[in-house]
Amino acid sequence: MGRSLRKGPFVDEKLFKKVTKQEEVGNRDPIKTWARRCTIVPEFVGYTFLVHNGKIFNKVYITEDMVGHKLGEFSPTRTFRGHSGGKRK
Amino acid sequence: MPRIAGIDVPNDKQVWVALTYIHGIGPHLSKQILKEAQINDTIKAKELTDDELSRISGILDRNYVVEGQLRRQVGQNIARLKEIACYRGLRHRRGLPVRGQSTQSNARTRKGPRKTVAGKKGVKEMRG
Repeated sequence: MGRSLRKGPFVDEKLFKKVTKQEEVGNRDPIKTWARRCTIVPEFVGYTFLVHNGKIFNKVYITEDMVGHKLGEFSPTRTFRGHSGGKRK
Repeated sequence: MPRIAGIDVPNDKQVWVALTYIHGIGPHLSKQILKEAQINDTIKAKELTDDELSRISGILDRNYVVEGQLRRQVGQNIARLKEIACYRGLRHRRGLPVRGQSTQSNARTRKGPRKTVAGKKGVKEMRG
């Protein structure tokens, strides 16, 4: 279910402020964040985020293609490496 | 047999059905197109005149993406999701359902034929 257009995309304001502040200073340090629900806006392109997945922070470098997705989509919350006794050659 | 949108050769069905043989055109679009081309959608496809055929393909060219082009577009969209490694892309890579469906049982369309594991306990054994 999509979000109402009237509201516009959801962007975590604190995170957005942090990015604009970095923009002024001109540094591109990774930003640690828990805001998985935050939409990626064009201003984020070129930055690296450390997105929390409930346990650790995954490094996510934002490219142009990622605009419109949420940060959480790039930091998987589940681990599954296959069933035991797999017959891998 | 009339040729529309490249290689498609629908047969002697009613026109609106024949059009749905084109990848990317369903019943709804088919009827819409015929309405726009002002063709009676219940005549047979073989009865279409050259003029009517060109009107249909004209509308297709201008407004719709069909067949190979559509397939390519869909493929590219999926490739993009895989490329950026987002959740949906990862699901595509693993061949699992992309839209949050349950996978404990079923999901056979995406997962393909069952891979039976030797020695795995079935429900019956566990009851006994």
